[in-house]
Amino acid sequence: MSSPLILLPGDEVPSEYLPNSSAPLRLGPGLRLLSQPPATKPSKHVLTATQAGILSTDNKRNAVSILSTSNRRYVPTSNDLIIAQVHHSSADYFHCMITPQSPHALLGQLSFEGATKKTRPQLKGGDLVYARVLSTGLGPGAEIELTCVNPATGKAEPGGLGPLNGGMVFDISTGMAARLIRASSSSSDQQEGVAGLVVLDELGKKLEKAGGFEIAVGRNGKVWVDCSNSEDDAVRATVAIGRCITTIDEHNLNPTDQRKLVTRILREMKIES
Amino acid sequence: MGGPIAVLHPLDRADGSASYKCPSTGSNILGSVNAPIELPGRRDALKPEEATIEVFVKPGTAPGGVGERYVEGILRTALGRVILGREKGYPRRGVVITLAIVGGESVGRGGSYLPLLPALLHTATLALLSASVPLSVTLSATVLAVNSAGEITREPSAKEVTTATSLHVLAFTSKGHLLLNESEGTFTFDTWDDVYERALAICHGSSTFGSDGDVAMAETTEGQPLDGIVRDTVEDHIHRDYAWKIDAA
Repeated sequence: MSSPLILLPGDEVPSEYLPNSSAPLRLGPGLRLLSQPPATKPSKHVLTATQAGILSTDNKRNAVSILSTSNRRYVPTSNDLIIAQVHHSSADYFHCMITPQSPHALLGQLSFEGATKKTRPQLKGGDLVYARVLSTGLGPGAEIELTCVNPATGKAEPGGLGPLNGGMVFDISTGMAARLIRASSSSSDQQEGVAGLVVLDELGKKLEKAGGFEIAVGRNGKVWVDCSNSEDDAVRATVAIGRCITTIDEHNLNPTDQRKLVTRILREMKIES
Repeated sequence: MGGPIAVLHPLDRADGSASYKCPSTGSNILGSVNAPIELPGRRDALKPEEATIEVFVKPGTAPGGVGERYVEGILRTALGRVILGREKGYPRRGVVITLAIVGGESVGRGGSYLPLLPALLHTATLALLSASVPLSVTLSATVLAVNSAGEITREPSAKEVTTATSLHVLAFTSKGHLLLNESEGTFTFDTWDDVYERALAICHGSSTFGSDGDVAMAETTEGQPLDGIVRDTVEDHIHRDYAWKIDAA
């Protein structure tokens, strides 16, 4: 892999960094196609960046995009998995908060797995749901719709969608959330971990004896942790996991430091591993 | 004379922020950008296909007045040419830029804002970059004072401003195009041409443009070009953010 390329707005993407395939190129966020008058150059089209960030190419999907700064505000996009908090409920919908500053999103009372008029979940204000963004609407003032079920199959796909009971939520940056999703969704047989994160594997190994833990990562910069299996240590283990993840996010730790941090925090919290 | 000091993302809650300190003019600006945000009651703006750009300049000690409104207008026009307000998610939403003057000489009532303008422009550009607002190009700006002897001073101090016969602010895009020119005082066309050459050298280095339109960076007597400082600040920040990805590659 060639060295990462950092682009600023207005910079052209060099053609050697683009995936060389005959299939049409997919442009991700942060890039735009500009056409030049034919007289100036042999190639008539150039790709220029519109945001500052690292150029990221995906040869498999033939896509290219710009990875921008990691601590930006979450902007809902359809198909994102998020952790939302119910604010209040009305006749047909639960009104949920995705981020404190954005308007409420709508979650249908019946968009849960196996929910009917009689068996729908009774959620109160403050309850958490793991949901998928169904649609974001067009233009400003549009309502964001969430769902906990795949409308085509009636199943909670991917698994785990629905109300989150117990546990605790920690705030992380949106960039860290994206990394955690990548790290937890792909198999991790590499030494260095996926996306430079070994914290989940490390915690999984150390807390196996204590009963393991459950984790749900929302794209909106939230991570939900639950250790209800570990009886006496449940609260301490939950807080320890949350502290590990937020500290790694804050200080951008590398895999070696992540391992050290996990050991140190577990020792401080007096959780035997 | 040291170069300017720029920090990206010093504020936690804003979508993007930057602080910028210019030692020679003594200006110290803290800027934040929130975008795209819903503007209440503004959904049917005059230009429904574009984002609405709002700029607020807050003086450190006094309440804002006519001078601030005037410089806000200049900034809004200059930045409006750079921000791509038609990108997805931006039309009919707002880009709100707040610039606070936290240090340096405060501008008195009726005083000239030109010495502060480059710092305000740089802060706004860096904050927009850190908020990942789509931009067509980046920009860099400088202020030059010409005294009665015809000497050009780069980024003059408050004392030099009072003795100058004319003041010029020039902003260039990262492609080297002149984006903004604000001048005050008496000067001739020849003086302005000299000022333009000098400003271009300060912002982009003295080397000429290559045939492909690229700007060759060069260290000159002017020190590091301002465009390079903007670029370095952003690259450093991204390097830190994506250390895990860069190390793995």
